[in-house]
Amino acid sequence: MSQQLASTTGAPAAARRHRRRRDRLTAYLYLIPALMLVVGIVYFGVLYNLWVSTLDWNGISPNPAAVGPGNYLKIARDPIFWGALSHIAIFGAITIVVQMAVGLLLALVFNGPVVGRAVYKAIVFIPVVLAPAAVSTAFRQFLRPDGQVNDVLSALGLGAFQQAWVADPDVALYALAAVNIFQWTGFSFILYQAALSQIEQSHLEAAQIDGAGTWRTVRHIVVPQLRPTHLTLILTGVIGSLKTFDIVYLITGGGPGRSTEFLTTYIYKQSILQFHVGYGAALSIVMLLLALVLTVVQTHLYKLDREV
Amino acid sequence: MFTRPTWRSRTLYQVLATVLVLPFLLPLLWIVAISFEGAGAVVNYTAVVTQTPFLSFVVNSLIISIGTVGLVFASTMLAGYALGKLHFHGRELIFTAILAGLMLPAVALVVPLFTIVKTLGLFNNYLAVILPLTAGLLPMTILLTRNFVKGIPDELLDAARIDGATSFGALTRIVIPLSRPIIAVVIVWAFLNSWNEFFLPLVFLQSTSMQVITQIPTYFTSTYGSDVPKIFAALVLMCLPIVIGYLSFQKFFERGLTAGAIK
Repeated sequence: MSQQLASTTGAPAAARRHRRRRDRLTAYLYLIPALMLVVGIVYFGVLYNLWVSTLDWNGISPNPAAVGPGNYLKIARDPIFWGALSHIAIFGAITIVVQMAVGLLLALVFNGPVVGRAVYKAIVFIPVVLAPAAVSTAFRQFLRPDGQVNDVLSALGLGAFQQAWVADPDVALYALAAVNIFQWTGFSFILYQAALSQIEQSHLEAAQIDGAGTWRTVRHIVVPQLRPTHLTLILTGVIGSLKTFDIVYLITGGGPGRSTEFLTTYIYKQSILQFHVGYGAALSIVMLLLALVLTVVQTHLYKLDREV
Repeated sequence: MFTRPTWRSRTLYQVLATVLVLPFLLPLLWIVAISFEGAGAVVNYTAVVTQTPFLSFVVNSLIISIGTVGLVFASTMLAGYALGKLHFHGRELIFTAILAGLMLPAVALVVPLFTIVKTLGLFNNYLAVILPLTAGLLPMTILLTRNFVKGIPDELLDAARIDGATSFGALTRIVIPLSRPIIAVVIVWAFLNSWNEFFLPLVFLQSTSMQVITQIPTYFTSTYGSDVPKIFAALVLMCLPIVIGYLSFQKFFERGLTAGAIK
């Protein structure tokens, strides 16, 4: 009897131990596809980039010359590289600030008594799901000197503000930022809308009864409570600007001149179109480092902020 | 604004909302309007579908999207389950290693990708787009799925195992059915990203018979010059499935696109 009892309690434990051991093996098995893809492409890619970045190579020649840090020294002296960085910074600053402000404004207004709210919401979000390639092609047309954007301006009596938009090197970068804002504001809008629904309605009403005006309610109660959303949008916005390729390539191709060159378009031109593979790889490594540093710094700030 | 709305504030809100939505609505309307210009809607759309390789572009995009979704789904579920529920050495290390791929833009990997594709002879092969796309999507989908699967009560899995289910059986019979909300997010995310992908096909799929829908504008412009209305008809056709999909499954799209940002 007692032996029987022992064996019945012992058996599941042994079985579980056995299962654990088998689980360990299956676990590794289950991870193979994901690891093969991530390690085989991403990790291999970074290492390969590192190696190629020390070569003066056109991608074809069987014995490329090793140049050590030569490509990196060249980057440091390359005005196109620094230009690209400043374009990304300007583009990023504008798009992040405007997308956050407009997204929040939309979320607040649509939170009020608006008839047909679902339709309004869908209109703002539709650009987010469209292919950037489609949006870019459409806007290249809208932004022509005789395009729809200038038509609207003259219809509004703002003819003085008409521009050659993407053909003017002083304006093209801002035009690209505007296209990006059109496409991605729906994203910040949805995040703010979700965050707003988490704020206690009573907080908002209390402020109102205390006599705080709408603007003060928003500034002192709503905006501070949305802090995690602000930070998320800044983080995704910074990385997003660094990654932007489609709209630049398809609308301006980095021009006129180099006035809208981004790091992505520059890497593409160097590596694929001009066969400066070593230089392209070095630029890629710099871009990866930038993405890494920006992410680490921002997640660190994010954590600090949460602890406070 | 948060008190009971009066007639005046209602009007104010309606006007404000309408004005704010116009910059988003107008470009969408222009796209459709331009596609009707020139020779007229019927001629434009018929020409795009019958006189151009439009349909083969669509088929290629579908193959790439379905392939990517399938590969992302399978690798994500297996990895998410292993990382969320199974016990083994190096679990956290492997998880971190996969997550590190999260922020890498595909453009920054173009040199190694080019070499891989050249070495394996994969130019003008769907895999040249599917594999890098999948690798790029996996960190995000695995993060979401692992967190979700972790939340499934152990008792449910143990019960299944005691009933004699293998770990794979537990995955297909317990984990996958319970993870439907996150699976929807993963599928929408993977589909949208592969359907809208422009860069990888640009580099690796250059023969006309292999091109995808995001290359339509470039292809048309080089082949038909500036027949703008027809190009816009093609734009409408390429956006339509995604817009219809979004309008039918709004919640999944909104959650799918923002899930990564909220986590």
